[in-house]
Amino acid sequence: MIELAEVTKTFGNKVAVNNINLNIKKGSITILIGPSGCGKTTILRMINRLTPYDKGDILINGTSINNIDPVELRRNIGYVIQEIGLFPHLTVFENIAIVPRLLKWEQKKIEKRVKELLDLVTLDHSFAQKYPLQLSGGEKQRVGIARALAAEPEILLMDEPFGAIDPINRLKLQDSFLEIQEEIEKTVVFVTHDINEAIKLGNKIAIVNNGNLVQYDEVVKILNKPVNEFVENLLGKDRNLKALSLKKTKDLITKDGFITVSNIESHEKVKEKMIKKDVFIAFALNENDHLKGRFLLEKEQGIEKLRLIYNSAPWIIERQNNLNEALSKMLEAGEKELPVVDRRKKFVGVIKLSNIFEEFKKNKTF
Amino acid sequence: MNIISYYFNNFGKIMFALETHIFIFLVSLTFSIIIGITISIFITQEGKKKIGRIILSVMGAAQSVPSLVIIALTFIFIGIGIKPAIFALIVYSLVPIIFNTTSGIFSVNQDVIEAGKGMGLTQNQLLWKVKIPIALPVIMGGIRSSATIIIGSATVAAVIGGGGLGDFIFIGLKLQKPEILISGALTVSLLAIIVDYIISIIEKKIVSKGLKIKKSRRIYHEKLHKYNYDFCINF
Repeated sequence: MIELAEVTKTFGNKVAVNNINLNIKKGSITILIGPSGCGKTTILRMINRLTPYDKGDILINGTSINNIDPVELRRNIGYVIQEIGLFPHLTVFENIAIVPRLLKWEQKKIEKRVKELLDLVTLDHSFAQKYPLQLSGGEKQRVGIARALAAEPEILLMDEPFGAIDPINRLKLQDSFLEIQEEIEKTVVFVTHDINEAIKLGNKIAIVNNGNLVQYDEVVKILNKPVNEFVENLLGKDRNLKALSLKKTKDLITKDGFITVSNIESHEKVKEKMIKKDVFIAFALNENDHLKGRFLLEKEQGIEKLRLIYNSAPWIIERQNNLNEALSKMLEAGEKELPVVDRRKKFVGVIKLSNIFEEFKKNKTF
Repeated sequence: MNIISYYFNNFGKIMFALETHIFIFLVSLTFSIIIGITISIFITQEGKKKIGRIILSVMGAAQSVPSLVIIALTFIFIGIGIKPAIFALIVYSLVPIIFNTTSGIFSVNQDVIEAGKGMGLTQNQLLWKVKIPIALPVIMGGIRSSATIIIGSATVAAVIGGGGLGDFIFIGLKLQKPEILISGALTVSLLAIIVDYIISIIEKKIVSKGLKIKKSRRIYHEKLHKYNYDFCINF
C-alpha cells in the first residue's frame, strides 16, 4: 500500500531521516514512535508531500507520490494533527464538508456523509451547527477524525492526535478510534511518543531514533524480541504486563454464568429467574440493551435463604479496553468479573479475572 | 444661537459640502481597501514573510506621521484640487488597512494553516477560505480606522482645494467666526459617527459567529491586542 524505499531527508547539515525502508500494509495501523526530534513526524509529512524528501522514493499503490499532484494527493489522504486545526470560523458541519466540497460533491451527498461521520465518531447530530470553540478537547478530536475521513480516503495520517488530551479522555478516544478502525479499515500511519498508546493501537510499530529505523515489526515481536537496549528502554521494565494490552477485552468475553433481565422487571421475578437458571449474577438491560444495573444473589450467613443485592451503577469495561486496562479496573473495583459494553454503551457480555490470568500465563515469555 | 441660525441659513451650502465630503470619502476608502488588501495579500504570501515583517514595522511607524505632512507633500509634488486631495487620503489611509490585514493574516494559527494544506487546499483556497475569513475581524478593524481617518483628514485636505466640509472650518478660522467653524466640525463629527456605526453593522454581518465566541480573539489574534494598543498610542 505505502512503501518507503531508502528515503532520506536532510535539513541543512542535519540528517532528519536516514535511508528508511518501510512497507505499510493496507488496512493496518502502523505506529511511528521515538523521542522528540527523531524524525517520526518528518516521515509522516513526507507521505502527503508536506515535506519533500531528498533521496529514495515513496510509493502509494505502486505509484511514486512525486508523480501525483500534491493537492490531489492530499485530498485522498486524511490528515489529523495534534492541535487538530479545525477552522474556527466554520461550523462542525462545514469543517467536515471541506474536502467533499472541494471535490464538488452534491449537497445531499455531503449532508448524508456528515451525518454518517458524526454517528461514526459518536457525536450527536446537533453538533453539526456548533463552532469549534464551543467544543471540548475530546469533541474537537472526534470532529478532526471525522473531517479527515470525510472524502473516504484510503489512507489516514495521524500526528499525535491524542497528545493534547487528558489521560482519561485519551484512553476513551483510543478505544473509540479502535472501534472506528474496525469498521472502516483504513491504512493508518500514526505518530506518537507514548509507548502504551503504540502498543495499544498498533498492528506494527516502527521505532525511530536519530532519523534511523531501529526496529520495525509486529507489536508482539517487538515486545518479545527488542533488538537493542534502546528499544528495551523504550518498552520499559514491565514488558510482560504490557503484553497483556495486546489482547482486547472483546477476545475474552464470555456469555456464561449470568442472565440478562429487563430493567422494568420486579426484583422478586428476577430472583425467581436466577434461582431457576442457577446463576448468581443478572444484568438489567433497557430496551436498547443498555446496562442499567446488576443483581447479585448472595447466601446470607447461617440462613438457607438467598438475598438479592441490586447495584444501579456497576463498574463496566469497554469492549475495546485491552486486558491491561480491564485488569486494573477489576483490581480497583475488587470484582472477579465485570460487564462489558461497546462504544454505543450496549451490553455485550462479561469478562472474568481467571481468564485474564490464564492469558497472562500463556503469553509469558521471559 | 448664532450657530443654529447660521446652520439653517446655509443649510444648502453645508449639504453640498457634505456631499463632496462623502464623495471624497467613498472614493478614497474604496481605493484604499482594494490597494491595501492587495498589497497585504502579496506580502503575506508564503516565502515573503521577511518582507512582510519589515513592511509591518514600517507601517507601524508610519501611523505616527501626521496627515498634514502627507497632504503638504502631495501639494508640493502634485498640486492642488480634488484629485491630489483624494490621492493624499488614499496614501494616508492605506496604513491601518495594510497594518491590520497583514498582522491579521500573520496571526492566524499555524496549525489551522497546516491542517488546511494537509487536506489539499490550494494556496488560493487557503487564502480566501481560511486566512482571510479568520483575519476578518482584524481587517474590519483596519477598515474602520481608515474610514475615520479619511473623514477627519479630508477636512485638512481642504487646504489643497479638496473641498468638502473642511472649507467651513478654514473659512471660520480665517474670518474668526466660530459659528461657521463649528457647523463644519459638527457635521464632520456626525458623519464620522454614522459611518463608523454602519461599518460596525457590516462587520457583524460578515464576520463568522464562530470567531465571536469569547475565547476566539485570544487564541487566534493573541498578538493583535498588543498591536492595537500600540496603534492607539501612536494615534
